[in-house]
Amino acid sequence: MRRELIGIATACVGLWLGVLPLSAHHSFAAEFDQSKPVTLEGAVTKVEWFNPHVYIYIDVKDANGKAVNWALEGGPPNSLYRQGWRKDSVKIGDRITVTAYLAKDASSTASIRLVTTPDGRKVFAGTADDGGPKQ
Amino acid sequence: MKSTAILATFVLFAAAEAFAGPPDLSGVWQAPYTPDLTKPLSHDLPYTPYGAERFKNVVHADDPSSYCLPVGPARIIQAPLPFQIVQTPNAVVLLMEYMHTFREIYTDGRGHPDDLEPFRWYGDSVGKWDGDTLVVDTVGIGDRTWLDTAGHQHSDQLHLVERFRKVDENTITWTVTFEDPKMYKEPFTVTLPLKRQKTMLMMYSCEENEKDRVHLDNTKQSAKPGELQ
Repeated sequence: MRRELIGIATACVGLWLGVLPLSAHHSFAAEFDQSKPVTLEGAVTKVEWFNPHVYIYIDVKDANGKAVNWALEGGPPNSLYRQGWRKDSVKIGDRITVTAYLAKDASSTASIRLVTTPDGRKVFAGTADDGGPKQ
Repeated sequence: MKSTAILATFVLFAAAEAFAGPPDLSGVWQAPYTPDLTKPLSHDLPYTPYGAERFKNVVHADDPSSYCLPVGPARIIQAPLPFQIVQTPNAVVLLMEYMHTFREIYTDGRGHPDDLEPFRWYGDSVGKWDGDTLVVDTVGIGDRTWLDTAGHQHSDQLHLVERFRKVDENTITWTVTFEDPKMYKEPFTVTLPLKRQKTMLMMYSCEENEKDRVHLDNTKQSAKPGELQ
């Protein structure tokens, strides 16, 4: 765990140096609404470490206490790997907080910017320079 | 006697220069991600009326990239993933991490074939050395790729001229001129630095987890040119 977090911390440093994960697969604005930021907190139910995008799924409780499963789209695994992420950096059951931007189609889908790991570290895991916000 | 020695030295240097051949472009390189060509140009594209109408009616859900189709010879260099140049005496091959595909540029003096049909998507590329610069001419791309993620399109008349010039061990200047008289009133040229990457190419399967397509905006372009990336 400690080694993973060092890796994530390294990714953070990379971000500050301007080395960001990227994607060319689609336009940010064609799918997500940068006027609709959202912060979601919940337990990880699944991680898909595949191209063209990593997906992290979390259960988030709605106003009625009912769990809603959100699909959170990150950058491509190739870019995230080069930044220090590994496919088990976030595990099923981990409670994470994510700042993201909502999909325009009102589905429970959002584009990840920052992931706050259980120990409080904030790591960029999104698709940088995709036209969406940096954070 | 002294002048003869100087002349001989000059001739030897000139011969060595000529014998050295073209610069070695081999290595792994990456351009800055350029999802909107109007950004490096700092101005809008010079649309013909037909081209302007096409851009106005772009539907982002139709982006060939979102269908994991080939993205075209220039857009794949503008992508945010690295590519490897493999240089041989008769061809320069670009191995692309994005979409895990390749471009082959023949440098053996051949011209374009008469029948370009088999070369759609990435086109037919032939190259020649102009001093220290590899000049690549590409035609036959067809009309199904986009020039960028912002939705700038092209017709089957697209003709690219690319110039790869190694300026130092870690930098190639890539200049691409887009010529498409049906879509654009005049050619336009974009220059990007390719930086050497200390990485190996990784596998990339676009189909492996494609989930965006169903969420993409399927209405006609509503943003002004340059606003979408």
